[in-house]
Amino acid sequence: MNLATPLVAFGFGNLLMLGWLAAAAAPILIHLWNKRKYREVPWAAIEYLLAAMRKNSRRMRLEQWSLLAVRTLIIVLLVLAVAQPFLEQAGFSFSPDGRTLKVLVVDGSFSMGYKPTDKSRFDRAKQWAAQIVDESSQGDAFALVLMASPPRVIVGSPAAEPEDFQDELENLALPHGGADLPATLTEVEKILNTAGDGGWSRADVYFLTDLGRNTWLPDLKDDGQQKHAQRLAGLAQRASLIVVDLGQDGAENLAVTELTTSEPFATTAREVSFTAQVRNFGVQPRNQHLVEFHVDGRRVKETYIDVPAGEQASVAMAHRFDTPGDHVVELRLGPDLLDVDNHRWRSVGVKQQLRVLCVNGKPSSVPMSGATDYLALALNPEADQIGTTSVVQPEVILESALLERDLMDYDCVFLCNVAQFTASEARVLESVLRRGGGLVFFLGDQVLADRYNRELGGEQGVRVLPARLGDVISEAQYRYFDPLGYQHPLLRAFEGREQSGLLTTPVYKYFNLELEPESRARVALAFEGGEPAIVEESIHAGRCVLVATDGSLSSVDPATGNPWTTMPAWPSFVPIVQEILALAVHGQMSERNLEVGQTLGESLPAMSTRASVDVTAPDGTQTEIRMTLDPGASYWSYGDTQTSGVYAVDLQEPVGRQEAFAVNVNPAESDLTRLPSDELPKEFVTHRHENLDDADLPSIGQRSGLHKLLLYGVLGLLFLESLLAWRFSGPAV
Amino acid sequence: MESNLKYLDPQTLARLQGLELRARSIVEGYVSGVHRSPYHGFSIEFAEHREYSPGDDLRYVDWKVFGKTDKIYLKQYEEETNLVSYLLLDTSESMRYQSAAAPMSKLEYAQCIAGSLAYLILQQQDSVGMVTFDNEIRALVRPSSNPSHLKQLLHIMENTVAERKTQTGPIFHELAERLKRRGLVVILSDLFDDVHGMMAGLKHLRHRRHDVVVFHVLDPAELDFPFRQTTMFRGMEQMPDVLTDPRALRRAYLEEFHKFLQAVNKGCRGQYIDYVQLRTDQSLEIALSSYLAHRMHRVK
Repeated sequence: MNLATPLVAFGFGNLLMLGWLAAAAAPILIHLWNKRKYREVPWAAIEYLLAAMRKNSRRMRLEQWSLLAVRTLIIVLLVLAVAQPFLEQAGFSFSPDGRTLKVLVVDGSFSMGYKPTDKSRFDRAKQWAAQIVDESSQGDAFALVLMASPPRVIVGSPAAEPEDFQDELENLALPHGGADLPATLTEVEKILNTAGDGGWSRADVYFLTDLGRNTWLPDLKDDGQQKHAQRLAGLAQRASLIVVDLGQDGAENLAVTELTTSEPFATTAREVSFTAQVRNFGVQPRNQHLVEFHVDGRRVKETYIDVPAGEQASVAMAHRFDTPGDHVVELRLGPDLLDVDNHRWRSVGVKQQLRVLCVNGKPSSVPMSGATDYLALALNPEADQIGTTSVVQPEVILESALLERDLMDYDCVFLCNVAQFTASEARVLESVLRRGGGLVFFLGDQVLADRYNRELGGEQGVRVLPARLGDVISEAQYRYFDPLGYQHPLLRAFEGREQSGLLTTPVYKYFNLELEPESRARVALAFEGGEPAIVEESIHAGRCVLVATDGSLSSVDPATGNPWTTMPAWPSFVPIVQEILALAVHGQMSERNLEVGQTLGESLPAMSTRASVDVTAPDGTQTEIRMTLDPGASYWSYGDTQTSGVYAVDLQEPVGRQEAFAVNVNPAESDLTRLPSDELPKEFVTHRHENLDDADLPSIGQRSGLHKLLLYGVLGLLFLESLLAWRFSGPAV
Repeated sequence: MESNLKYLDPQTLARLQGLELRARSIVEGYVSGVHRSPYHGFSIEFAEHREYSPGDDLRYVDWKVFGKTDKIYLKQYEEETNLVSYLLLDTSESMRYQSAAAPMSKLEYAQCIAGSLAYLILQQQDSVGMVTFDNEIRALVRPSSNPSHLKQLLHIMENTVAERKTQTGPIFHELAERLKRRGLVVILSDLFDDVHGMMAGLKHLRHRRHDVVVFHVLDPAELDFPFRQTTMFRGMEQMPDVLTDPRALRRAYLEEFHKFLQAVNKGCRGQYIDYVQLRTDQSLEIALSSYLAHRMHRVK
C-alpha cells in the first residue's frame, strides 16, 4: 500500500477522471469563439439597440460572467463527481485503479443486544455492514472482525466476493461478552499487514458500534494508554477510521450484577442463602420490578423490587437442596430492552457432606498429641453430639497412606506437620488443585523446608505452595498475630470480635514464608513483626492455604520446651479452621461459575481411556469432546462459552457424572453509558444515525455520499443555468 | 407582376370595394360624393359675399352689387368636392429593411398600402396626391381625381431609391406649408427619427387642419428581436455597427423600442392623429380594412 503523510483531507477514487477538468474551459472558449465568429445582419432600428447597450453594458457583462461561471461550475462538479471524491481522515495517496480494502469491525459487546425497536443494535450493525458492502465499487474487498473479548476475525483474508461475505455477515451472532478494543486494533493491523501488497489504493476501517464507554475507554495502565494511542495513530496513517455510531443516549437498563451465596459450600444438611444484586444503570427509577428465583428451572420465589436510578437493590433467598449433585439457581428479572443481563445463574455443587482428608505427619498414641487431633475436632466440633448431622466429615490418615487414597474423593486435604513429599505425592496434591479442591498445610517441627520448596515449590515442575519456606524463626518471647486490618476474607468473621482470641494467640516458633516478587499469593494473617502467618493462593482451579506454624501442640521447641504455638487450644482455633476450610474449598464453587469467554473444564483422575464429554450449550447445541490423558490426571475443556446461561456437561463412562456450569455476563458491560463522539480519539470520523425505524439506511460510504452531493449540485446548477439564461434573455420570442 | 397589379392586389381591392372612406372631420366642399366641406368653391350654389381684397380674381366680382352699392364684393359658392388625400411615403434607407421572416421590406409593404389607397380614392372620384421623402422631399405629385393619375403615382413609387437618412420633422413642417388644400394626410413610415422633431412636424400639419393618419410600418424582427447567436448589426442610415449577444440584450432592446412606440403613440393621440401599427408579416387587407372600418365608425 502506498502511504503518504497525513495531510490530505480530501481524495478521489478515480484520479484520471480529473483530467476532464480541462473541459471546464469549454464555456469560456465557446464564449470567445462566439465573439470571433458571428453573423452579420443589416439593422434599421440600430438607434434603440445602441441605447439598450449604453444602459445595460455593465449588467450584460455581469450576466455573461455569471452564466459563464455557472456553466464552468457545472462541468467542474460533474467531473469531480465522476472522479469519486471522498473525505479523507488520514493521508493516503491513491493509485489509479481505486480499489478499496474495507475492514468492517462489528462491536460484539453484549450491550449491542439493546433492542430499542424490533431490531437490536447488533442487527442494525449487520444491516449497515451489508449496505457498506452493497454500495462498494467493483474490485473492493472486505474483511470482517467481531470486536469481542477476545476479538474474532471472521474474514481475515480480504474477500472480493460480496455474496460470500454477506453470508458470513448473516451468520454472525452476538456473543454475551465484552469488547476488547486494543486487541481488536491489533487484529485489524494484522489484516492490513496481510493485505498490504494487494494493490489497494486505500483502506477504510468501519467500526459499527454503540460507543459504549467501557469499550472505547479501555482501562489501561499508563504505558498501555500510550501504546493504545500510538497504535491508533499508526492505524490512522494506513486507513480511514470511521465510527458508525448505533447507540442511543439515555438508554435505560436494569441488570443482575451478582448472585452469590454466603456459604462456601452447600450440603443437603442445611439451607443455602443466596443474595442477588440488581443494579439500575439508567436515569429513571424502576419501581415494582419483577424478580424471580428459579432452581433447576423451577420458579421458587417471586418478588418485586424498587431500584432507584443509578443504584442497586438486594434480593435474597434461602433454599435447601434435597439431593446432592449440581443444581442451578437462576435470578431472572422482568423484561427490559437489554435482555442478556436480565438473568444470572449460579451452579451449586451440593454434597451430602464435605469430605476432608487430614494427613497426620506426626502421629501420637497420646490423645490430643498428634498433628491432626485438634484439627479433626475443629473441623467437626459437633461430632460427638447425638442427633446432629455433620456437614464436614474429616478422615485422618498417616502420611504414608497418602498415595493409597484417591484424593478425588475429598474436597479438601489438610497436611499437618508432614515432613516431606515425594514427587508422586506432589503430583497427586497438584491434581487436587487442578480439579478445584483445597489444600491446607500446617507446618511444624517435622517439616523439611528445602524438600517442600523442591517438590512443592515449583523447582521440580509441581507448584502447590503459595510461598517458599524460609528459615524457622524461634522467638524466646511469643508473638501475636496481626490481622492486617481484617482485609482478607478469611478474617472477616473476626472483625469486631476481639474476644475470639485470635489476636492474643501466642506463637513461639514458625517458618518464615517468603513470597515471590510477582506472586499472586495473598497474606491473610501476619505476625506482629510483619512476617506472613497464613498465605493463600488460587492455584489451578483450587486453592492452597499455607499456615506458617503448627496446627497442633505436637511441635515443641526443644530449646525452650514451649510448643510452637498454643493456637489449637485457643478459642479462635475452631473458627479459623472453619474459615480456612471454607476458603480452601471455595474454588469448587467458583470453578462451575464462570464468565462469558472463560473455559469450562476440570481435572479428573488419570484414566486409561479417553472418555467422552458431551457439552450442551444454552442454545441447545451439543458438542462432544474427548478427555486429554496425562500421566497424572485427565482433563477436558470447552472454550466456546460466548453465550451466557447453563452449560450441561455429561461425563460419559467411566466417569459417569453430570455437571452444570453457569456462565454469566460481565456486569460492567451492562452500563450503557456512551462515550460522546467528540471524546473519541481524533483519528476517528464519526457517522451517526439516530433513527432506528428507517428501513433504508442512509449511505455512509463517504465516496458515494459526496458523489451524490455533487450530482445534486450539478442538477441544481443546470436548473440555475436555465433560469438565468431565461431571465437574462427576456421573454420568449 | 405588372406594376399596377403589384400594388393593387385584387384581393385587397375586393375587400375594400364596399367600404366608404370618409373623412373624420370637415373637408372643404361637396363636389361629389357625400363629403361635406366648409371650403368655398366656385360651382353649383351661391353661399355669401365677401369684400374684395387686392389680388382677388376679378372673374368672381358680383357686378350687380357693385352697381347698387358702389362697393366691390366677390361671390362665394358652396360646393360639393372630392376628398383630397396626400400619401406621404417614407423612402429612407431604413425602410429597405427586410428580415428573414418578413414577406417583403417595409418600403414594399408601404408601397402596397399606398397603391391600394390611391386606387380606392380614385375609384371614389376623390383626389389623391403623393409625396416621397427621406431627409428631403424627393417627389411631390399634386392631388388629382383623374383615374389615369394612378399610373403616375405607381410610377413614382416604382422608381423610388431608398438610400438616405430620414428627417421627418423638417419634412412635415415643409409639407404643412406647401399642402394648401386641407385634406387627409396619410403617412407611411417606420418613423425611425427624432420623435420630438417628428411630433412637432405632425403638430404643424394638424395646425393646418389636415386630418392625419400615421401607418407605422415595422418589420416583425424589429418588434420581436428574435436573434440568438452573436450578431454584428450593420447600422443603416449612417448609424454605427453593433456587435453583441442578442439574447443578453433582447430585454433591454425591447424596452427601448417599446418606449419609442409608446412615445409615438402618445404623441399621435395628443394631436388627434390616427396611429396604426403595421407589421410587414400581417396581410395587407387585414391591416387596411381593420383601419378603415375603425375610421368609418369614428366618422359616423
